[in-house]
Amino acid sequence: MRIEHKSWNDPVLVATVAPLALAMVAFFLIPLLMTAVLTFQTTQYYRLVWTWDLKIWTEVFSKPHYWTIMMRTVTMALVCVVLTVLIAFPAAYALATRLKTFKTQIQILIIFAFLTDAVLKTFGWILILDKNGVANWLLMHVGFPPEMLNLLFTPAGTMIGMVYNLVAYPMFTIYLSLVRIDRDLILAAYDAGASRIRTFFEVTLPLSRPGLYSGAVLVFVLSLGAFLEPKVLGGGTSPLASELIRQSFETRVNWPLGAALTVVLIAIGALMLAACAAFALRRTSSTGRPA
Amino acid sequence: MMSQRMRNALVDTMLVGTVVLLLVFFYAPIATLVAFSFTSSRVLTLPIEGFSLQWYGELFDKPDFWPAVRNSAAVATVSTIFATVLGTAGAVAWIRYRFRLQGTFRALTFAPLLFPQLLLGVVMLLWFSVLGSWLGFSTGLATVIVGHVVYITPFALVVVAVQVYGFDETLEDAARDAGASGWEVFREVTFPLLWPGIFSAAIFSFLLSWGNFYVSYSLAGTARTLPIFVYSGIAVGSSPIYPALATVNLVPALLLVIIAEVLRRRALKRQASGISES
Repeated sequence: MRIEHKSWNDPVLVATVAPLALAMVAFFLIPLLMTAVLTFQTTQYYRLVWTWDLKIWTEVFSKPHYWTIMMRTVTMALVCVVLTVLIAFPAAYALATRLKTFKTQIQILIIFAFLTDAVLKTFGWILILDKNGVANWLLMHVGFPPEMLNLLFTPAGTMIGMVYNLVAYPMFTIYLSLVRIDRDLILAAYDAGASRIRTFFEVTLPLSRPGLYSGAVLVFVLSLGAFLEPKVLGGGTSPLASELIRQSFETRVNWPLGAALTVVLIAIGALMLAACAAFALRRTSSTGRPA
Repeated sequence: MMSQRMRNALVDTMLVGTVVLLLVFFYAPIATLVAFSFTSSRVLTLPIEGFSLQWYGELFDKPDFWPAVRNSAAVATVSTIFATVLGTAGAVAWIRYRFRLQGTFRALTFAPLLFPQLLLGVVMLLWFSVLGSWLGFSTGLATVIVGHVVYITPFALVVVAVQVYGFDETLEDAARDAGASGWEVFREVTFPLLWPGIFSAAIFSFLLSWGNFYVSYSLAGTARTLPIFVYSGIAVGSSPIYPALATVNLVPALLLVIIAEVLRRRALKRQASGISES
């Protein structure tokens, strides 16, 4: 791969970079700043009033109700991270090291499922998890008592949906870092007399850390915004932050409040991202890169 | 020695088993939907009593189904064009070029990937509402398209970037040495070599846009795309028309994936034969 150094006087560079950069500034960066600005405004009779006021922030910080839901959202996100990584790692490892013949086919199957309409897939889970649904019917027919599982409209139902919709992300990141591992390092470990298991824990696992970390962070930030799963599979019984935000826009028509809750959620995600980046950086600098 | 080999076999079986289980997990709801789309009964519980296609008929007769299909198709087509072009340019700038403020450019174009879709939608909704109250427009399909482009372009960028990364630029040099102009090099060498990546990115973008719920839901105003149609439908009550819709929905996606795979294989074969000839 050759690198081309380009100056901003070069029209080729401007033509390649400017359209995308401008689109992102106009429709992503400015909207973000706007959201932050809106949190200092107030509403009167469902109308936005332009002032500079800390009213919304005092409301956000003085109502424990919001923070209970935020805490629940963070807890769900952390559980989701643990579950998705536990599922994704062995699957990605198998895909990277075994299954040579069917690798492409399996990858296509996974991408295809990932790209199928999420609302429909979530509806499919209703049909499975319902009290009279597919799961209980199958369990009954292999000898379990009828209506054994009662997962629909519980936090467990929400979690199944979240894991289902997000597990593909860490699979991709972990798979990518596993296939990038130099095969010679593993062979060298075998030559030095290490067993397969020891090699896995001392060579493969540490070298797959970038994929593990980035997959985990991605699942965390994306599950902070889970909306469909708590609504459809959780039945709205234990709402998460996204529901709170939606309500403040749609039911209460309070934009500044919705904006403030959005900012809080983004801040939680950004903090996690920063913490993970710092942690990963320290880990790689203290252990040092294998020569 | 024997026990070592048996342990290895056990590990292999378990690893393969995980992948099989994962595929079952991925396809459980999809298979359930397909199965229930052919039921003759109104209730969606097992066992399925009889076979019928009546729910497909009922779905196609629903007055708000076809407008939703048209909206989804329009949004997905336009978003795909923008996301693919912007993503391809972005990928070249990410991987091949080095320039001042490249770090900023990378952060700016990658950040939407780290945003939950709902928050992305909400943030843009606020901006479009404020802008709309100043300029006198309201949210609709156009804002959905903008939202989709912001959300999907980073995905397209990553897909094309993989192709740019494995790019063999000696072929460009050869063309240039043979006297080709800059544009000819791009048309005859660069573009054909990047084409498989660009094509996958386009398919990826189309399907992401077609199936997108969160961003559309935030930015559509009163317009309805297919996923919004399903969401507002299942909120009222479940009906076998949604499994039927899911099954219909799989067909174009399946076709696109098959076409992409065939083209990818042909490109690989061409590359391989090109190498062996040279």
